[in-house]
Amino acid sequence: MEKKKILIIEDDIVLQKALAEYLASENFEVKCSSDGEVGIKMAIEESPDLILLDIVLPKKDGYAVLEDVRKTESIKNVPIVLLTNLGSISDVEKALGLGATTYLVKADYKLEEVTAKVKEILKIQ
Amino acid sequence: MLRQRIFDELNLRKQADDLGVKIWQTPSFLFIVMGIIIIAAMTGVYVVSINYDSPEVLVISESIVVVLLLTVGSFIIRTVEEVAKSNKMKSEFVSIASHQLKTPISELKWQTELLLTKFSKGLSEKQIEIMNEISHSGDKMGRLINDLLDVARIDQGQLALNKEKMNFCKMVEDAIDLQVSFAKLMNIELKMICNLKMLEVFVDKRRLAVVLDNLISNAIKYIDGSGKVDVIVESSDGFAQFCIRDNGVGIPRNEQNNLCQKFFRSNNSIKNQTDGTGLGLYIAKNIVEQSGGKLWFKSIENVGSEFYFSIPLVDSEKKGLAVLK
Repeated sequence: MEKKKILIIEDDIVLQKALAEYLASENFEVKCSSDGEVGIKMAIEESPDLILLDIVLPKKDGYAVLEDVRKTESIKNVPIVLLTNLGSISDVEKALGLGATTYLVKADYKLEEVTAKVKEILKIQ
Repeated sequence: MLRQRIFDELNLRKQADDLGVKIWQTPSFLFIVMGIIIIAAMTGVYVVSINYDSPEVLVISESIVVVLLLTVGSFIIRTVEEVAKSNKMKSEFVSIASHQLKTPISELKWQTELLLTKFSKGLSEKQIEIMNEISHSGDKMGRLINDLLDVARIDQGQLALNKEKMNFCKMVEDAIDLQVSFAKLMNIELKMICNLKMLEVFVDKRRLAVVLDNLISNAIKYIDGSGKVDVIVESSDGFAQFCIRDNGVGIPRNEQNNLCQKFFRSNNSIKNQTDGTGLGLYIAKNIVEQSGGKLWFKSIENVGSEFYFSIPLVDSEKKGLAVLK
């Protein structure tokens, strides 16, 4: 079966690496970016099957990336899971209002659970 | 109800504590002062009008009244503005603290998980045991920070629930499974009584797990010596109802009204043998209420406690059948 491609846009390198290695070991092809500007470029070039997106990012924050993705014809339907440690009603409402598929609070989720969510969205058994 | 409301309105010390202002800055105090000034001013104008048959004097006295009212009024507005500003700052602090504190915890948790699940080859049993302990400490730290941030968010009306359809029976079963070894360690018989297989509720599964974890671990913790904890799940009037009954130390009668307040810990006989922040029930109650249910309890000191909560069933919620009593 062809590997599904995941783009991680996360500026915390420790988290980015841990997530990337875990997903790679679960048979995903993983691409990473550490800022929003490069992230949106990579999303257009790579056409990932799903984007894992942080909110607090250098150069362009997660909300702006989310808006750009939804406005770009070739990738506008890509599921976006927001991975954040912000988690107030206003943060969540804003993210979902801009078209995020769902959001996960990083400190509350294990890598295994994040991966399970990715598989659920991509309908992988 | 009305008596309680009037009592709350006049409890200036509590209001000042809640709003983080001085007593003379509380809206109730300022409104009382304004009321007194209006009465005094009206009386003054009345006295002036019957004693001095001069329109100039009347105009001057009425002007003084207007100036007084405007001064007190603007003072009230300023106080309300200050309270709103400090609330906004608190909310911003919560957001920043949440991000700053949770990031290193996420790093710790994800790294240990990665090591234990994907790169544990070659590690000795002892090394794995130590890594597991580090992982548990990370979880504990995460829970403590979550509790503090949840309280701040509840106070700001900003607690977000990520709701989805869940089987309530299964959730309770899973929560009990997590506490079985703790119960055994404490010499407590933990039992679930449920004749149903499926009770569909629309909840934030993580938050509801926090509620369940809290109530079950409290029931176990507050039994002195060996004892019994029964968990009963049933369907009642369009709600999934949870009840946990223990034969523990119970809650002194005079403390029962304060039990769900934040940072409150009961002065029962084993307070010092159990750890806790006094935030669990406050958070649990708010999560249950924000999920459309309610939480209540009955307790007799030295006999035991029964804690209940209810959550609307999905079907009843759709049909508008779930009405809180």
